[in-house]
Amino acid sequence: MSEVDMAVIKPEMMKSYIWLQTADGSIQQVEQEVAMFCPMICHEVIQKGMGSSKNYAISLPQRVNPAMLSLILDYCRFHQVPGRSNKERKSFDEKFIRMDTKRLCELTSAADSLQLKPLVDLTSRALARIIEGKSPEEIREIFHLPDDLTEEEKLEPLKNTTDDPRIRLLNRLYAKKRKELKERQKLKNIEVEEERVDDRSVDDLLSFINGDNGDSKGIKNSKSKKKNRRRKDQQKNTSANEAIKNHNKEPNGLNQVCCSAEVGQTVRAGVGATSNLHDVEDDIFDNKNELDDGDIDDEIDPALKEKIDRYCSYELRKSSKLTVSNEVTMEVEDFARRLNSDWPERMQEILSFGHERKPVHFSLNGNGSLRRYANSEQR
Amino acid sequence: MEITKVLPDDCISLIISLTSPRDACRMALLSHAFNSIADSNAVWQMFLPLDYIHIISNSSSPPSLLSLPKKDLYFTLCYHPILTHNGDMKFQLEKESGKKWYMVGARALSIQWVDTPRHWTWISLPDSRFCRVAKLKNVGRLEIKGKVKLNTLSSNTNYEAYFVFKLVRDRYGFRHTPVELDVSIEGTAAGEVRSVILDPPRNMPQQAKERVDGWLEIEMGEFFNGFENDRTVEFSLREDHDDQPKRGLIVQGIELRPKHKNNR
Repeated sequence: MSEVDMAVIKPEMMKSYIWLQTADGSIQQVEQEVAMFCPMICHEVIQKGMGSSKNYAISLPQRVNPAMLSLILDYCRFHQVPGRSNKERKSFDEKFIRMDTKRLCELTSAADSLQLKPLVDLTSRALARIIEGKSPEEIREIFHLPDDLTEEEKLEPLKNTTDDPRIRLLNRLYAKKRKELKERQKLKNIEVEEERVDDRSVDDLLSFINGDNGDSKGIKNSKSKKKNRRRKDQQKNTSANEAIKNHNKEPNGLNQVCCSAEVGQTVRAGVGATSNLHDVEDDIFDNKNELDDGDIDDEIDPALKEKIDRYCSYELRKSSKLTVSNEVTMEVEDFARRLNSDWPERMQEILSFGHERKPVHFSLNGNGSLRRYANSEQR
Repeated sequence: MEITKVLPDDCISLIISLTSPRDACRMALLSHAFNSIADSNAVWQMFLPLDYIHIISNSSSPPSLLSLPKKDLYFTLCYHPILTHNGDMKFQLEKESGKKWYMVGARALSIQWVDTPRHWTWISLPDSRFCRVAKLKNVGRLEIKGKVKLNTLSSNTNYEAYFVFKLVRDRYGFRHTPVELDVSIEGTAAGEVRSVILDPPRNMPQQAKERVDGWLEIEMGEFFNGFENDRTVEFSLREDHDDQPKRGLIVQGIELRPKHKNNR
């Protein structure tokens, strides 16, 4: 169209256009009502008077490339029509988000930079649906994430502690009880596995898990289990303490003491240490109570060892089909009932202590002695 | 493409907050970047009920609860129920979903003759979170009713109501006579009335289940709390047919538990 033609025809053209420029330099014009559906563009037009011609094209944020812009405009073009029913809109949305994860992420980002909240919500929900229920490994693969947390960092939630002396007393009492039970079990048990497992140090385990894949599956399982045991034991202790404290609680509390299926399954998995790690986080979720684990000072280390030993013997009990869990449960319930009378007071005390996070340094040597956990860069 | 380079933190927060508390805990394990986002207040605030500040402020808990990081607050409320409504109700969060979970204490129920010492007495038991629970000495007609405003509960949620009780050794009147349990939303058609025996003889199936806290519970019914929830839900437990003396029932309250969905 020549300029003259444009001058003649223009008054009859009801549509007006907004000029947009993407980061790569390309410029396009878009129907006004469609473009104005984006708050950011709307703002540029109204507040700054931009977009009315090619020379004054609105510079879109860098996160909006031409492909994303095209998608966004499709979305806007559909939704800016006022007469559509909710059903139609929902149907459009469902078809619209059918794209690969990478594009979904880019689209979320682009929509966010244009402040187009309905589209951000739509794409975010789609991404949430993709990742929910998946293991950390699977999610890392989908999003190309580096596994850059150290072991210690992954265990961090377990180390959250409180200084409440009553909690520590409970821990000790509980540890004592467990030890008694364990002694009883040991007498009944003739498994050799227990000795073998105790010989490994944590660092050995880590280097094995992260480097050497040549071992037979059997040994690998036991090593993974051992590493898991350490964590699981912390979990156990936490959950046991929790159970002591939470007499009134929903079923979760004592189920954990009863060595819930989840823990058992994790250890049995033996597929690889990394797969056990995310089940750790599940256990953290199940046992999550930062106020409980009182094992922070040195004098508790023997209790820690007891926990580990206890877990070993738990393993054995499981394999020899003995269930100590019921006894343990009853002990715990017992503690719980005795403590219940001053529950509100205790709550106050706990809450007023605040949250002091002290890292627990520990590892188990072959001879059962404890040494400081070396924070290596292993994964 | 690494997602943290494509998406800004607040988008990632939004995505995580649209999953579940359990998923959010898992995501803290993914990488350094995800670790801080997944544990952030931005995410965990979304898992708390919308009116959590109001609930905590009007409870017997110290206000310092509100200064906890949101993730810690979430789990505190999951594992440490708080007393609200002047000590009449017990509140906690259902861990998997963050939905509100209440127990209406005996004091907040309408128990016929409860204030007549000849019939009922208020006692204090160490294994109840409430100050007082109601103990039945003797009635001929048993009537326990309660009601809760639906906007107290989480919307778009299925709830189950449980009658939480105990029976003392010296009890009678519940062995052969069933009680009628009923849950209905005011203004709607009455739901099915369940007829259960609270204290069946040994050879009969026990319908009440033992709880973790040592009390018994029996399901009264279910209801769905939709979005327009300016109504109330009403519960009742009745035995008013045989006029035989009854004794030895201890009432802690009625628990409203969000129903755990197995498929999301």
